Amino acid sequence: MNWLVLLLVIAALAGLWVVDRKVRRLNMLAWLAAWFAALYVFFSYGIEPPLPTSIVFMYLGIVVIILTAYLSATSAYLAEARDAVVAFTTEKRYAIPLVIVLVLLPLLVAANVYLNITQEPAAPISGRTIHPPPPAQIQFKGKTINLATAANPYRVLEERDPAAFAEHVENGRRVYFQNCAFCHGDNMEGDGHFAHGFDPIPANFSDPQTIGILQESYIFWRVAKGGPGLPHESTPWSSAMPAWEHFLTEEEIWDVTLFLYAFTGHRPRALHAAEDSALE
Amino acid sequence: MKTITLLAVLLFVAPAAYGQEPDLGTEAQREAGRVLYMEKCAQCHGPEGAGDGVAADVFTPAPRDFTTGIFKFRSTASGELPTDADLKRSIREGMPYTGMPPWPKLSDAQVQNLVYHIKTFNDDFSGSYGVPDPITIPKAPSFSEEAAQRGRAVFEANQCTDCHGNLGRGDGKSAPTLEDQWGYHIRPADLTKRWTYRNGQTREDIYRTFTTGLDGSPMPSYELPEDESWALVDYVWSLSRDEANYGTVIVASPAEGALDVGQGAALFETARPTYFPIVGQVIEPGRAFQPGVNGVEVKAIYNEDEIAFLLRWHDMRAETSGSNSPTMAAPRFGETAPTDTTGAQAAGEAAAANPASPYSDAVAIQIPSQPPAGTEVPYFLFGDEKHAVDLWFADLAKGEAEFFVGHGSENLEPGEETLDFFSNYDEGEWTVVFKRARAKEAGLTFEEEAFMPIAFSIWDGFNEERGNRRGLTAWYYVYMEPMNKPSAALPMAKWAFITLVLELGLVFAIRRRARKEEAVA
Repeated sequence: MNWLVLLLVIAALAGLWVVDRKVRRLNMLAWLAAWFAALYVFFSYGIEPPLPTSIVFMYLGIVVIILTAYLSATSAYLAEARDAVVAFTTEKRYAIPLVIVLVLLPLLVAANVYLNITQEPAAPISGRTIHPPPPAQIQFKGKTINLATAANPYRVLEERDPAAFAEHVENGRRVYFQNCAFCHGDNMEGDGHFAHGFDPIPANFSDPQTIGILQESYIFWRVAKGGPGLPHESTPWSSAMPAWEHFLTEEEIWDVTLFLYAFTGHRPRALHAAEDSALE
Repeated sequence: MKTITLLAVLLFVAPAAYGQEPDLGTEAQREAGRVLYMEKCAQCHGPEGAGDGVAADVFTPAPRDFTTGIFKFRSTASGELPTDADLKRSIREGMPYTGMPPWPKLSDAQVQNLVYHIKTFNDDFSGSYGVPDPITIPKAPSFSEEAAQRGRAVFEANQCTDCHGNLGRGDGKSAPTLEDQWGYHIRPADLTKRWTYRNGQTREDIYRTFTTGLDGSPMPSYELPEDESWALVDYVWSLSRDEANYGTVIVASPAEGALDVGQGAALFETARPTYFPIVGQVIEPGRAFQPGVNGVEVKAIYNEDEIAFLLRWHDMRAETSGSNSPTMAAPRFGETAPTDTTGAQAAGEAAAANPASPYSDAVAIQIPSQPPAGTEVPYFLFGDEKHAVDLWFADLAKGEAEFFVGHGSENLEPGEETLDFFSNYDEGEWTVVFKRARAKEAGLTFEEEAFMPIAFSIWDGFNEERGNRRGLTAWYYVYMEPMNKPSAALPMAKWAFITLVLELGLVFAIRRRARKEEAVA
């Protein structure tokens, strides 16, 4: 929500209301136009992240229906609007404004057509599946890993042997900064010094909606198999994420997974939670 | 409350203000700084600040060794320590196009604590040198074209061209021989790319950079009369674009007649440029942690039968005596080849001893071998098992194009393709043209009004880049603007006319009805 835009829109409507009450009564049609314009501005610029144009049009369609319903609610409103239109099109004193409108409107339409035709063609958009569904199991260097049940073998050390656990985390730090930081960034925000060269952009692990809602086995799968290992329904997308199984050992991948959580402060989704939801 | 404020003033502000004692913070502040440093900084700068963290080898330029007390980015005279504000600025703003990121999310107190901790790595900070005397940077006068022209003379008189080159592209004649204090090769800044300036991008930043110099690097300090300083700033400003404005689509324009690649860039005068970022291949063996080239400008034109691409990029020196190939073996990370060790630093050492690199500059355009299904593209590193790529490659020492089909970096096969080629190096810039027939039997045909995936690789021979050690782009698109662009006039007239008819219809209908009602009344 862009509060500044919202405030401006409300202020503009309030200003009109004051004019209506204190200075000069506004015609019903002017009010409807004002509401339409206000909502158009709000839908187009007042919402963050911006709505797609098609959604804005849909909302504006609903707005038109509502405004029409309001207009036809009482015959007084309807008559007021009707009289204004009739006066504008028939009375001599409006002849010049009428001609101006009659000329201006086709010109506006022509300008819009021109803009549409000469617009730069947009590159094809390939959708990004945020958390693609993992396969039941993967082959890792000749070994089968069941993603639903595989736990990080070093996670248990966290309570059992904190010193050994810290060593694994430190090894994960080394793996991360020698392999991942270029794209995923020194602070794991997906903004490493090569990140600007890639689309889709590298994942931002500091975002609680990434690793914080995933199991460690899922992280293992994404690191080991990368973009080339995505299931077909999650492609096509040109992820540059490599299949690290070619360059890292199993232990290194589990260690870097530990480090992702240790550095960001997120906790992995527990395995039993997944089993529970599977039972439901 | 007042007492606490007073105490704080006495403790922290007063000593520095009197210029007596360096401000080293409290024990608690330094400890808080140490904890944060170990979490965020030690991986590169090392636990003891010696620039030897676990990631130090893979980040070029190398992380700063704080124990030396030598700092590039200062507001103090050459040879002096930086102020706290200088260190804070480096942390806050980072250094673009290096592994040092900006840290905007740390609080002021956190950054100050880091500074206190960094100052423990070198004893000079706690001695009499620890109270540095910064220069005052006057407020920048507004840019003037006239000052910029005077600045050109200052630029020449102070021999800036020796390293930064005649047009500021970092291609001066001494550039290949420059070494930092530790004996590593160091590149002079490409002054035309302001977005890559590591010591800041404002005009005050430029003023500070040449006035104080960059300690530990060959960039000396230039204390010039103030009007000359600002003239120089304006000249540097005039050389540079402020934003990279990276694009994603090359719009190929239709051209009349034959496409003569021999014309070079002149052939593409009507085409629009698109600028793409080049990043290092840091995944597969042969990793390039800091490629020598960080961006490439591309244009494309086509006629009935052929399509031509123009690629232009800045390169410190043309390497044309060695050889290069995408299939050439590059040492794995951590391994050493006979001529180099790891990364660009060693490459620089080799170059300083041996002026010409054994590896020549090279370039490649990569397109899918088959028209892609939907938006599915081959893996960007020379394709994959299922999806092949065509590689239009040119070793710039040979001056002719070669052709490879790739099923991944390990699986590149030379092939047959008719490619016309042109290359030229001038004033620190390579200009390369490739031309191919638009149609290809059993292969990708360049169709009008279609988006075709395209990617680029650039090898900087000076940087010992060859094979998989290279700079590259991810996939982008080339779009073929239709040859006969339908005129907008007809649809415009049509819709304007329809609107007018509707309007008039409405007006007449209302008037008729109004007349009828009047008659009834």
